[in-house]
Amino acid sequence: MAEQLVIEHLSKVYARGEVRALNDVSFTVKKGEFLVVIGLSGSGKSTLLRCINRLIEPTAGKIFFEGVDVTAASSRELLRIRRKMGMIFQQFNLVKRSSVLTNVLAGRLGYVNPWLSAIHKFPREDIEMAFKNLDRVAITDQAYKRADELSGGQQQRVGIARALMQEPALLMADEPVSALDPATSHSVMKYLEQMNQEDGVTVITSLHFLSLARRYGTRIMALKDGETVFDGLPSEIDELRFKEIYGDEAEQVEVR
Amino acid sequence: MATKPSKLRSGKPLTRFGALKTRFGAFFVDWALWGYVAYAVVYLLNRYWYTEIYFYGRLTVPTWGWPIVILGTLELAVISHAFAQSIGLSAFGLRVLTQDYQYPSRAARLRRYLWWHVSLLSLPITLFGSGLNNQLLHDQMSKTGMFRIKDVKDEMPVSTPRAWYKTNRGVVAVLLIALTIWVGGLVTQINISALIDRAPKTAYMWKALVTPDFTHLFALDPELAVNANPDLPASIFSGLLQSLFMALLATVLGGIIAFPLSFLGARNMMGFSSLGWAIYWVMRGFFNIVRSIESLLWGIIFAIWVGFGPFAGVLALSVHTIAALGKLYSEQVEGIDPGPLEAMASSGARRWQVIMYGVIPQVVPSFLAFTLYRWDINLRMATVISLVGGGGIGRLLFYYKGQVGRIPNAWNQVAAVIAVIVVVVWLLDYLSGRVREKIN
Repeated sequence: MAEQLVIEHLSKVYARGEVRALNDVSFTVKKGEFLVVIGLSGSGKSTLLRCINRLIEPTAGKIFFEGVDVTAASSRELLRIRRKMGMIFQQFNLVKRSSVLTNVLAGRLGYVNPWLSAIHKFPREDIEMAFKNLDRVAITDQAYKRADELSGGQQQRVGIARALMQEPALLMADEPVSALDPATSHSVMKYLEQMNQEDGVTVITSLHFLSLARRYGTRIMALKDGETVFDGLPSEIDELRFKEIYGDEAEQVEVR
Repeated sequence: MATKPSKLRSGKPLTRFGALKTRFGAFFVDWALWGYVAYAVVYLLNRYWYTEIYFYGRLTVPTWGWPIVILGTLELAVISHAFAQSIGLSAFGLRVLTQDYQYPSRAARLRRYLWWHVSLLSLPITLFGSGLNNQLLHDQMSKTGMFRIKDVKDEMPVSTPRAWYKTNRGVVAVLLIALTIWVGGLVTQINISALIDRAPKTAYMWKALVTPDFTHLFALDPELAVNANPDLPASIFSGLLQSLFMALLATVLGGIIAFPLSFLGARNMMGFSSLGWAIYWVMRGFFNIVRSIESLLWGIIFAIWVGFGPFAGVLALSVHTIAALGKLYSEQVEGIDPGPLEAMASSGARRWQVIMYGVIPQVVPSFLAFTLYRWDINLRMATVISLVGGGGIGRLLFYYKGQVGRIPNAWNQVAAVIAVIVVVVWLLDYLSGRVREKIN
C-alpha cells in the first residue's frame, strides 16, 4: 500500500475565541516520504501534527492511517494506532527527574504488560532494545544520568530513542530543532534522515527554517492561516512562493 | 497570523444591562463602606452619649434615626461616586469622564449627582426603552459617562498623580482605619492600664517559668503513676513520645490517603470529561471544607466518638492532614510540566501509565517536602490538641497548670513541659528544613 496516511478535509476550530487553526486541509503521505511542513508560528503546523494522532481532537474531516480510520477509532483502538506513530517534540518532553533509560523505556509503554509496567518492570528484550536505540543516537554512556543533566541536543536524541522504542511506521516531529543551536540541529536532523532512509520510517516534521526543509525534505508542504498554500518538491519553492508563505517582509535565513 | 482583535468596547460608556453589573458593584462597595462608617458612628454615639442612659451592648437608634442612616449613607455613596474617584470605582476599574474622555467639571459632576435621583426613579424606563441613546438619564443629562479605565486609557488626559491625602480614596481609607481601631478597641475591650497595673502580680509566674523543674523528665510523677490514669502520661518523656508518634502516625496516614485523592482534585488530571470535573469539584470542596475546620474541632468530635486519649488526637490530626496535604499535593500535580504526559499519550500509553511514568516522578520530591513540613505542623498541633482530650504531652501541660495552687512548684513543672516542647519543635523544624533543602 503506497498511501500510508490520508487526510481528508481536516479542520480544527478552537472553541474559545473561534480561532480556525486548520481549515479544510487534505493531503496524502506515501510510505517512506520525508515530508516537511513549513509556515509561520500560528499557521497550524502543531495542530495538524497533533490531530493526526488525536492528541488534539479534530473538529471535522477524516484521517486514515494504513487504511484504518483514526478519527472513528475507539479509545482502545486509538492506543494501538498511536503505538505505530512516534512523536518528538520541540521541548523534548522528557521527564526531567527520571533517568535517560527510564525515559526511553517509557516509549514502550504501549506494548508492555500494563501490570508489570506498574511496578517499573520491563522485559529484558525491551531493556536491550533501549540500549540498542541509545547506541543508535550515540548516548549509551548517559543512560543512567538524569535527563535534565544532558544538553539540549542530547535530550532531543533521547526523545528520538524513545520514539524508536515504538518501532514506529510513522514519525512525527514538531519543530524538533527549534530549541537547538544550528550545529546541533543538523545532528538531530541527520538522525531523522537516517531513520527515514535505513528503516523506511515515514517522517512528517514541521520546521522553521526553509534551508533545513530544503536540505532534508523529499516533499514540502506550507501552511498559512490553517490552509495549505503549497505542496510540492523542495526545489519548487522560489522567491515568489517564499513571500507567499511567509509574507512580504520575510527574508530567507540560512542554517548551515 | 491574524491581527489582534480590535478593542470592540473601546471608548464606549457603560450603559444598559451588560455594564450595570459593574456599575452596581462599584456603587454597592461605596454604599457598604459608608454603611460601615455609619455603624461605627452609631456605635460611638451609643457608647459615649446615648448609652449613659441605655446600653446593653446592642446599637440603639431612635426610630427616626434609621431613615437618616440609610438615606444618608446612600447620598454619601452617590456623592463620593459623582465627585471623586471613590474606592468602589477604583475596585471595579471604572472612571467617570465626559463623553469626549475629559475629566468632568464641577458643574457637570453636580448635574450628574442631582440627576441621579431622577434617574433612579426612571431606571425601568431607561433600561427597557430604547430612547436616550441607551444611556442612563444622569449620564445623558450631565454629558458624562462611566468608562472602564482599561478601555479609555489611551484617550484619557494624562494627569500627575495627586498626593494620597488629597485623594478621596486616601482620605476615606485613613478614616476607615482610624474608625476601625477606635471601635475595635472598644468592642474587644482593650485595656492598657490592666496590662501595666497588674504586671507585678505575674512576677512569681515568670520566675517559675525560667526555673523549670525537670524532676519528672524521665522519672514518673508518683501522683500520676499511682492514679494510673491510662490516658495521662506519667513523665514528660513518655508524653513527648506519645505526641511524636501521634504526629508521625497522623502524617503517614494522612499522606497515604491524600496521595490518591490529590490526583482526583487536580484540574489537569480530571478535566477530560464532565464526570471528571464533577469529581474534581467534589474533591476540592472536600479539601477546602475539611481544611477550614481546625484540628482542635476535629479533636472534639473524635474525643466524643472514640473517647479521650491519643487515638482521638491521631484521628483529628489525620483528617486535617488529609485535607491540607490533599490540597497542597493537588496544586503540585496541577503545576507539573505537561510535555512528558503528551509524549507518553502520543506513544499509546494508558492514562494511568502516564500518571505512573509522567506525573509521579515529577511530583515526588515536592510531595515529600510537604509531608515533612506537615509532620512539623502536626507535632505542634499534637501538643495543643490535648486541650480537647487528644492525649500527648499537652495533657501534662494542662494537668500541671491545673495543679497551680495545689502543689507549690506547679509553674516550674509547666515550665519544664514547655521547655521540652520548644526544644523538640525547634529541632524538628530545623531537621525538616535541612531535609527539604536536600530534596529540592
